[in-house]
Amino acid sequence: METAPSVSCLPQNVKMSKAKKVLEDAREIKNPELDLFDKGVATFEEMPGLLNMTYITRLTLSHNRLRSVPPGLANLTNLETLNLANNQIEELPLSLSSLPKLRILNLSINRLYVLPRGFGAFPVLEILDLTYNNLKDDSLPGNFFMMQTLRALYLGDNDFERLPPEVKNLKNLEILGLRENDLIELPKELGELTRLRELHVQGNRLTIIPPELGNLDMLSNKAAFRFEGNEWVKPIADQLQLGIGHLLDLLRSETYRITYGRYLTNKPPVPAPCLDKAKKISRIR
Amino acid sequence: MNRKDVSPLIPVLGSIGESNLAKRRASRGSNENIEFSYHKFEVYDNVPLNMTPTIAPLSSNVQPNKVFWVTHIANMSRDNMLCSKCGEGFEPQEKIVNSTGQLWHQHCFVCAQCFREFADGVFYEYDGRKYCEHDFHVLFAPCCQRCGTFIIGRVIKAMNSSWHAECFRCEICHVELADSGFIKNSGRALCHQCNANVKAQGLGKYVCHKCHSIIDDQPLKFRGEVYHPYHFNCTACGVELDANAREVRNRPGLAKNDTNELYCLRCHDKMGVPICGACRRPIEERVVTALGKHWHVEHFVCAKCEKPFFGHRHYEKKGLAYCETHYHQLFGNLCHHCNQVIAGDVFTALNKAWCVNHFACSVCDQKMNQKTKFYECDLKPVCKKCYEKFPKELRNRLRRQHEATPRRVPTPVE
Repeated sequence: METAPSVSCLPQNVKMSKAKKVLEDAREIKNPELDLFDKGVATFEEMPGLLNMTYITRLTLSHNRLRSVPPGLANLTNLETLNLANNQIEELPLSLSSLPKLRILNLSINRLYVLPRGFGAFPVLEILDLTYNNLKDDSLPGNFFMMQTLRALYLGDNDFERLPPEVKNLKNLEILGLRENDLIELPKELGELTRLRELHVQGNRLTIIPPELGNLDMLSNKAAFRFEGNEWVKPIADQLQLGIGHLLDLLRSETYRITYGRYLTNKPPVPAPCLDKAKKISRIR
Repeated sequence: MNRKDVSPLIPVLGSIGESNLAKRRASRGSNENIEFSYHKFEVYDNVPLNMTPTIAPLSSNVQPNKVFWVTHIANMSRDNMLCSKCGEGFEPQEKIVNSTGQLWHQHCFVCAQCFREFADGVFYEYDGRKYCEHDFHVLFAPCCQRCGTFIIGRVIKAMNSSWHAECFRCEICHVELADSGFIKNSGRALCHQCNANVKAQGLGKYVCHKCHSIIDDQPLKFRGEVYHPYHFNCTACGVELDANAREVRNRPGLAKNDTNELYCLRCHDKMGVPICGACRRPIEERVVTALGKHWHVEHFVCAKCEKPFFGHRHYEKKGLAYCETHYHQLFGNLCHHCNQVIAGDVFTALNKAWCVNHFACSVCDQKMNQKTKFYECDLKPVCKKCYEKFPKELRNRLRRQHEATPRRVPTPVE
């Protein structure tokens, strides 16, 4: 049904034939895991028949030059892992979130400014990696935080200033990556994520932590709290110097509650963005 | 008719002719008096509750009587003999009936009802008249209320009817009431036990299995029955029991009621009956021992999902027990990739765990092993090849961060 293989207008370079060969081999042995990373492909047309291989469970297309994703990708209904890391994707199809079995989606190092409407409709998504894009507060669709199955959400290297309180709906969230955004404050609702054990907030514009985050169990050997590179108020900076346990003690104390309340009423100036993101390759138009 | 020479029982009359009775006697080879026991009506009035029945004779003079036929009176003059019925004398050679010292013409000695001779010479006398057996029964003998046949022998007069002794029974348990007495309860004749039970049921109370009276306070259940607690004493200390006493099944292998014993609450608690660590109540059935405590089987549950283990494997952590799923979910060994409990070897890195087959670069999804060098980005593993394909400015920032992070081993992390 696809067009004849000799589509002459496409450049017949080495990498592309590599991609075709991988596809042919995979079809031959019916390999459900498809590795097409670093094949130099720029469009899905260079991978003929890919969207008909509905049996595949993993599709790895990282390190390519893809600029868009066709809606037909949603035909691959058995996909559990879709890896599109390090491409040049600016837009995603609405149909993507209908993939019924997708558990792991890697979209890191792309050029996303916005996520499509209804993106949060993934039924079983567990790990979502959006690191190193151009997402900001209004980039997320309304249902984004409805992904109840989400265990890990990586939003590092984006442009968020605030996280909406709806983040508390991610009941199963264990990992939240917010490294090197422009965060001014953390929502107190993070304290309701009882299973959270990794929180990356280094390199933001944070000054203070809501006392509710004292509820989080950040002391087990599975936990990680990364906080460097913020302009923390002195009490927090002092306790962080001593260790996470001391910080949690501070957050849970009555005196901190007062400190926090006073700080909010005073409304001190927000630190200026400290990062020059102009060099990010995600900004290239 | 055959003749018999002697009937010693009628000395007055001297020699005696043939007699049906004498014939019968002779055939039995016995000289004894034949008695037909038919006396003593026993009467139970509708006695008031809880009273023993009274017995009183109704008619004492009703007896079957004996008759003798006299055919020849040899040595006596017939001039002085007169028929007891008609008052006439006897012809010579005429058969004379002799019974209890009185004489009759043969045709005068008949049933007052049917005017026939008495079969086998048996008759019954009632109110000065003689009746054959059949007519006597028809006219005077009582009928049993239950089986509808005549009552010979003991007659039970009760509930405005007559009964055979064996027909008069408790309407609930069918025990014979003739000797034990009965109680009339809403038109039914009941034995004392059944009456007490019925009465207690009406009051919503138990009847003590020992004294059969109603238990007004809390009953004591013991070996499947209910009792007044004060009928028992503690097996250990002997104190009189109250309703707080505990029934102890001390040998679970046997039928559960047979070996049960009663203890007062104090002794029961001292006996070391295990107390459930969850509900604080004694455990009388299966005991689960775990975490240094005893538990009801259904009370030993996962600290997270609160479902009972019911003998399934549990995991202990900090004094709490967890099911397999929640133990791994809370304390580790769920694979970061497949989110399943890791069977077999575990790769542990970057605060996470992986199945051996699931440990892969997060960017190119290629499998890694313990010898593969990898970088760390947001605590995700990145193989060297992929890391080198990262944007240079990102790599610079990541490197600077690692340098700034205390306690962190510089990349690559093994």
